[in-house]
Amino acid sequence: MTIIAAKDLVIPLARAGGRANWLYLPALLVAAVMGLPLLYLGVRALSAGPAIWTWLGRVQTLHLLLRSLGLALAVTFSAIMLAVPLAWLVTRSDLMGRRFWAMVLPLPLVIPSYVGAYLYVSLLSPHGVIPSLLSTWLPLAKWPSIYGFGGAWWVLTLMTYPYVYMSVRAVLSMSDRALEEAARSLGYSPWAVFWRVTLPLLRPALTSGGLLVALYVLRDFGAVSMLRYTTFTRAIYLHYQSSFDRSTAALLALVLVLVTVILLAVQQRLDRLKVAVVAHTPRPSPPVRLGKWQVPALVLVLIVVGLALAVPVGGLIYWLVRGVRVGETLGSLAVPLLNSALAAGLAALVTVVAALPLAILAVRQAGRLSRALVGWSHLGFAVPGVVIALALVFFGANFTPALYQTLTLLIVAYMILFLPQALGVLQAALRLVRRNLEEAAASLGHSPGQVFWRVTLPLITPGLTSAAGLVCLTTLKELPATLLLAPPGFPTLATRVWGAVSEAFFARAAWPALILVGLSSLSMLWFHHNPYTRNEPTS
Amino acid sequence: MSHPLLECRHLYKSYQGKPVVADLSLNLAAGEILAVVGPSGCGKTTTLRLIAGFERPERGEIHMGGKPLVAAGVFIPPEKRGIGMVFQDYALFPHLNVYENIAFGLKGWSKTQVQRRVNELLALVGLQGMARRFPHQLSGGEQQRVALARALAPQPQVLLLDEPFSNLDADLRLKLREEVRTVLKGLNLAALFVTHDQEEALFMGDRLAVMNQGRVHQIGTPEAIFARPVNRFVAEFMGNAYFLPGHVTRQGIQTELGLVRQEVPYPPGSRVDVAVRADDIGLDLQGPPNGKVVGRVFKGLLNLYQVELRSGCVLPSLQPHDYFLPPGQPVHVYLSAQHELACFATESDTSEVVVALPVMQEET
Amino acid sequence: MIRLFQRLLFTLMTITLAGCSALSTAQSTPNAGHVVVYSGRSENLVAPVFAQFTQATGVRVEVRYGSTAELAATLLEEGRSSPADIFYAQDPGGLGAVTAAGLLAPLPDDLLSPVAPHFRAEDGTWVGVSGRARVVVYNTKRLRPEDLPQDLRGFTDPRWRGKIGWAPTNASFQAMVTAMRKMWGEDETRAWLLGIQANQPVVFEGNAPIVAAVGNGEIEIGFVNHYYLYRFLREQGETFPARNYFMNNGGPDSLILVSGIGRLTSGKNPENALKLIRFLLSPVAQQYFASQTYEYPVIAGVNPERGLPPLDSLTSAVINLEQLADLQGTLDLLHATGILP
Repeated sequence: MTIIAAKDLVIPLARAGGRANWLYLPALLVAAVMGLPLLYLGVRALSAGPAIWTWLGRVQTLHLLLRSLGLALAVTFSAIMLAVPLAWLVTRSDLMGRRFWAMVLPLPLVIPSYVGAYLYVSLLSPHGVIPSLLSTWLPLAKWPSIYGFGGAWWVLTLMTYPYVYMSVRAVLSMSDRALEEAARSLGYSPWAVFWRVTLPLLRPALTSGGLLVALYVLRDFGAVSMLRYTTFTRAIYLHYQSSFDRSTAALLALVLVLVTVILLAVQQRLDRLKVAVVAHTPRPSPPVRLGKWQVPALVLVLIVVGLALAVPVGGLIYWLVRGVRVGETLGSLAVPLLNSALAAGLAALVTVVAALPLAILAVRQAGRLSRALVGWSHLGFAVPGVVIALALVFFGANFTPALYQTLTLLIVAYMILFLPQALGVLQAALRLVRRNLEEAAASLGHSPGQVFWRVTLPLITPGLTSAAGLVCLTTLKELPATLLLAPPGFPTLATRVWGAVSEAFFARAAWPALILVGLSSLSMLWFHHNPYTRNEPTS
Repeated sequence: MSHPLLECRHLYKSYQGKPVVADLSLNLAAGEILAVVGPSGCGKTTTLRLIAGFERPERGEIHMGGKPLVAAGVFIPPEKRGIGMVFQDYALFPHLNVYENIAFGLKGWSKTQVQRRVNELLALVGLQGMARRFPHQLSGGEQQRVALARALAPQPQVLLLDEPFSNLDADLRLKLREEVRTVLKGLNLAALFVTHDQEEALFMGDRLAVMNQGRVHQIGTPEAIFARPVNRFVAEFMGNAYFLPGHVTRQGIQTELGLVRQEVPYPPGSRVDVAVRADDIGLDLQGPPNGKVVGRVFKGLLNLYQVELRSGCVLPSLQPHDYFLPPGQPVHVYLSAQHELACFATESDTSEVVVALPVMQEET
Repeated sequence: MIRLFQRLLFTLMTITLAGCSALSTAQSTPNAGHVVVYSGRSENLVAPVFAQFTQATGVRVEVRYGSTAELAATLLEEGRSSPADIFYAQDPGGLGAVTAAGLLAPLPDDLLSPVAPHFRAEDGTWVGVSGRARVVVYNTKRLRPEDLPQDLRGFTDPRWRGKIGWAPTNASFQAMVTAMRKMWGEDETRAWLLGIQANQPVVFEGNAPIVAAVGNGEIEIGFVNHYYLYRFLREQGETFPARNYFMNNGGPDSLILVSGIGRLTSGKNPENALKLIRFLLSPVAQQYFASQTYEYPVIAGVNPERGLPPLDSLTSAVINLEQLADLQGTLDLLHATGILP
């Protein structure tokens, strides 16, 4: 293990002498594209009439904002509480079936929130399947309602904890075990070591994962509307839905951007661990024996996987079987399947490549400019997807008609939507690459480009595949941008699911939704075979 | 010898079916520094981790102060062992400053007690005034001192040091190892010290344990190991020995450089290799030439020559710093050793010798 | 374990692909051209009728499916650069917004005349394609039709407390409120809204969840469009314990709404666009809507199916759909009563 001073991670600009400065060119280009939705929001909001300002000033508006923030904070907190023990169990303990669980635990990310919420409602609403079944044995006077804050809270927690889980797992499997062993030898039990050593070192992973969760909750529409918890984003949707009022919606979206700015500032303040801990020759350490905790730990994992994955998947299978038994036809899914795979694959590739210059600058030339670029790229993340999609409709149709409604523009939309997810993972991976490895390569006569290609890139491969996987998963279920910007006649699995659910074609929705989960599992397998996991103990 | 403080009996540990520590036994007396030395991958760090409690042996027992740490049905977790450890890369907590790092193990101490103890240790390792620094603001040597102070703070019964100087530059390494030895001896603390550097082992250890391929080959005082290696591996690894072939006769060993008169544990007629070092070999230009100079390394105080005998066997020879011979110069080579020389049967390969020979436990 | 899982998934995927490789891409004669449709109606409902059109005329239909509101917003953003020829909307509201921006071209009379005037725009920019009745869906285990009031006002009775489901964000519901304002007047509409609100109705996001909730007994009645019920009966069998109740009193509670279609001025395939609209109003397509989506046909000579009361038997609200364009007043009312946030 080596502790690297922040100064060693950073090439002073003077010394860099053009080594990485050229990266500002692609980075600024990406940042410019990322700014398109903000520009659009500005244009639209300015064209709004004066009535809008009174709307903004209403007490109810503030109330809605507080409801959104309250939900976002609650979900972030519970997602962290859930994700950290899960990540610890699959990386550090001798939990039974650890490798399998490690792969399965991120999958809830792929279940579209409108489908997930629909299923939870049909299963758990006061007269839903589960209360009806249980009431035979467990006659509760009043079944706790799934609607409102409580329901939205736990459904969103189950859907978003993978963001935290994935960043924490990556850090846990790469960071040095010697620190924990040192603490053990100084008289601390494994539990105390976790609190005193492991958790403080996880802080950057927790804040970046937590930020993604908070922003996701802010922009979510599907789950909160299904669970009847009115948020700020729901208000934005209503403005489109009822009044076709794009100006008010844009102004409200700008409020969300402002909230994002505040959350980013909080995150940067919390993320003050100025050092990177690098295991330079990771020694396989034996897993922590759970002993009598084996069963409770397994129960925890089973409950989470059960609620977050098995319940929705089970619900989908139930829909499918029920529909097929009364003769519902399902039809072919080859085209949507290929389209989904193509779009998600390209989106992952393009997004990771676009995020790379920003991530390198942020880590290697940490300064006001690179920090600003990273922050800037996050601004659109809390904006509901439909707003981003309309921004690209506006620019695409009017300024680049040749690209409008082509795969290219769709991929750009995905990049704008999901770049922040890739940025966090890539930054974490780059922080773990020791600068002297790059310097060694340079001293062996490699140009900066060659150094990057032959040393840096291979070293951050785990980060690249993780980031690509994350983008892949979220692209697969993306809806508004896909609906509005895809080339004509480009059905995807997600659009098929949505089209069917909205008209109560449950069997027809279940079939593509199940394929979607299968496809995601495949992409998960692909990036599960990454070197992060190689450091995990073999029992 | 009094009852040992720490006792390892027949420890066995394997990874993926490959033994890393095989039937390892060793003792550590109170106040003693035992240096475990061996090439990298020989199992010495694993031995340390078994003692610390980070690994569980598949077989064998560990006892400390007469109580079992590891035995049938017993496994004391690391935090309950009272064994301190200094890690190869120090493993300082990056989120804590020097003071907090050193105070980390002082659980249940009152604030004033902690303060006194930390200051005491800062003084001991010469880091007064650095208490508020963070690990990344320290040099390698300073990090190493903090690591030592942190491990010593809770007053462990035994201290384990895992290659503690390997990341330091040469000057600092010499200086620090003296400091560490002085500190340990001053506290009369028993320590197990792991290194791959023979010279460091000879300097640090009251006794040495030479390990290879998961086994202890020899345990003894530095002098005993240097003078009487039990096998070819120990001779080569610890003594920079070269091997001169010969065969056993009734008088001793007949070699290319003449008869070595000494007792030999092999029957007459056996082919053996005699272990010789640079100070055992003399050269001159007066005697009949039986070899030629093939290399010279100027060591400042001395010249280290390499000479090739007619048979092709290459031997070292130490000569005064002002004694120059050109490469290719024919010379007379002779054995100048006045002490007994170790010898080993030629055909046997090292590991077989090891199996054949019992581990010599030399009592101190 | 992972290997096994991997192989399993791979096999699954291969099966899926193989199973679907028999996919036939019905191609049309290339010279008949194509037409671009933005459809706010679900693919599951309208794709078959587009396929019939292609088969009949050889014109390829390129469809972008989405929600009516999002597609309307898209058309507004695209302006004259829109690639769309046709906007096919779930409800007149979306068409109204696009008309207001001057993006729809008037349709020829021969297309408009077969459809009753109150099912099309006065300025002829769009025409209704299929009709749906506002109904009350009720749980057949809890209620008999006789238990239901004659008129929506009956549901303000405290006896319905906690038993009502509604979807105030739904365009059809809002159209019904607009009709109430036109027929009952502002005050009475406000009173009705507050009366229902006082009965603590369960709020849903759309029609389908209301029907589902009536079916499982979470609520006893809901205000919906009629045809969702038949989806449930189709998938869950005739035992599904919910049925529609037609108010049939000529008031806003027996409103018939339409899905509508309009042609964009900027469209590049005006001929094909008109061909498609003409086809959708032809007996073939109208028969499809009657028998497959359980909607009301809008032309004479085709009758609704599934035992739906025929249009002329319904003493339906005679209100021009144009009058329903005053959506803003309804939204203001819904905001003011606290029903919408």
